[in-house]
Amino acid sequence: MVALVIALALFFDFTNGFHDTANAMATPIATGAIKPRTAVALAAVLNLVGAFLSTEVAKTVSGGIIREGSDGIQITPDIIFAGLMGAILWNMITWLKGLPSSSSHALFGGLIGAAIAGIGLHSVNFTSVLQKVLLPAVFAPVIAALVAYICTRLAYALTARHDPETGNKLTQKRGGFRTGQIFTSSLVALAHGTNDAQKTMGIITLVLIAAGSQAPGTGPQLWVIAACALAIAIGTYSGGWRIIRTMGSGLTEVKPAQGFAAETSTAAAILASSHLGFALSTTHVASGSVIGSGMGRRGTTVRWGTAGKIVIGWLFTLPAAGIVGALTALLVHTGTVGFIIAAVAGTAAVVYMFVASRKSHVGSHNAVEVEEAGQAIRFAKKKAAAVSRGNKSKGGRK
Amino acid sequence: MKWLELFQVAGATLVAAVLITVLYSLGVRLTAIAGDSRTEQPGWVRPLSYACFGLCGLAVLAGLYLIIPYFSK
Repeated sequence: MVALVIALALFFDFTNGFHDTANAMATPIATGAIKPRTAVALAAVLNLVGAFLSTEVAKTVSGGIIREGSDGIQITPDIIFAGLMGAILWNMITWLKGLPSSSSHALFGGLIGAAIAGIGLHSVNFTSVLQKVLLPAVFAPVIAALVAYICTRLAYALTARHDPETGNKLTQKRGGFRTGQIFTSSLVALAHGTNDAQKTMGIITLVLIAAGSQAPGTGPQLWVIAACALAIAIGTYSGGWRIIRTMGSGLTEVKPAQGFAAETSTAAAILASSHLGFALSTTHVASGSVIGSGMGRRGTTVRWGTAGKIVIGWLFTLPAAGIVGALTALLVHTGTVGFIIAAVAGTAAVVYMFVASRKSHVGSHNAVEVEEAGQAIRFAKKKAAAVSRGNKSKGGRK
Repeated sequence: MKWLELFQVAGATLVAAVLITVLYSLGVRLTAIAGDSRTEQPGWVRPLSYACFGLCGLAVLAGLYLIIPYFSK
């Protein structure tokens, strides 16, 4: 049971990785700053590094959301198994739909649902849920969008060049932002590693403590850190291309200066929040930044339809993952047979969604999207090769 | 409700992001000016653009220094 839960947790970490590649790498891929393959490789390495940099968060992962410990409520591996099931399934569904949704919300939703079904309503600390999960979810995109908007306006205002005599526009020469994007997106990837790999470490540590093979109150063991770092890096490298497409070209057309501003805001928000202890979701922040930077450049339209779909996805994340988690918890509660049914059904659903992802969106469809993104940049000649290569690798993935 | 922390995070985000964007944008702009072939440019433009990029990099490093617990503890 414990081994199975750990495997499931690592798989969740994997889905978390490929779900969130888009947060860091969608905008540089869209502007052609980094080739798609290189981008995901870079993100993977930085996630790996980030996971090792800080393990402070890992101890406090479920921190207070589910009343644990001395009050008599014991989180069992069963509950965690059910919660992870809900989180993974929701991650797969949103990935299939190409929606950037928060992996941490999926995890919290699954755990909350499983705890309610498996233990009872009293096991969940709803004040804590409101403070730690719901309110940040409202504020994160707002703050990020506002900051990204200001930064985009500033970046364009500072680099706008006019001929002093005629007042005509000169060549703007904003190519430098493309180079800058490499660094800012790397920073986002690093921040993601320090944040998201921690959750899985926390979960595995929780299971180990619950199973009695680790002393309570101790931090994650080295092999747990290494396994989680690897899982999230592999997930990142496998690339959630569908979500990258939504973030890179679905919300708004991103140009280098916008991408730079958006990524700077994302990185600043995530790092500030993880340092100051007001946890914001990477996905919420990144989506907010992209929308904000889209509003900041004149002549850009934000596709509010797509933005609305994403927000609806966010609203459903907690309850949907919670329901799956609850159902799994009920099944597991009935005994070994129920547990096997839950495990088989979960695996079948994941495999089904994977097969479904292969069927839809073949080659030509995504090619259009990427070409559109390629045209958004000015140096079409230099980037044409990169774009066509990107198409190929994208086509192969689907 | 931890309003103070919320405002702290919002403020820190704003300050850090604006600082880096302004520095980098200035760098980009100065590089563009230095690259203009039609007009003569004073000699300090290009070094100043490098200084902007350098300061920007320093700001990022300072941020990382604050965040990684290994350094700040």
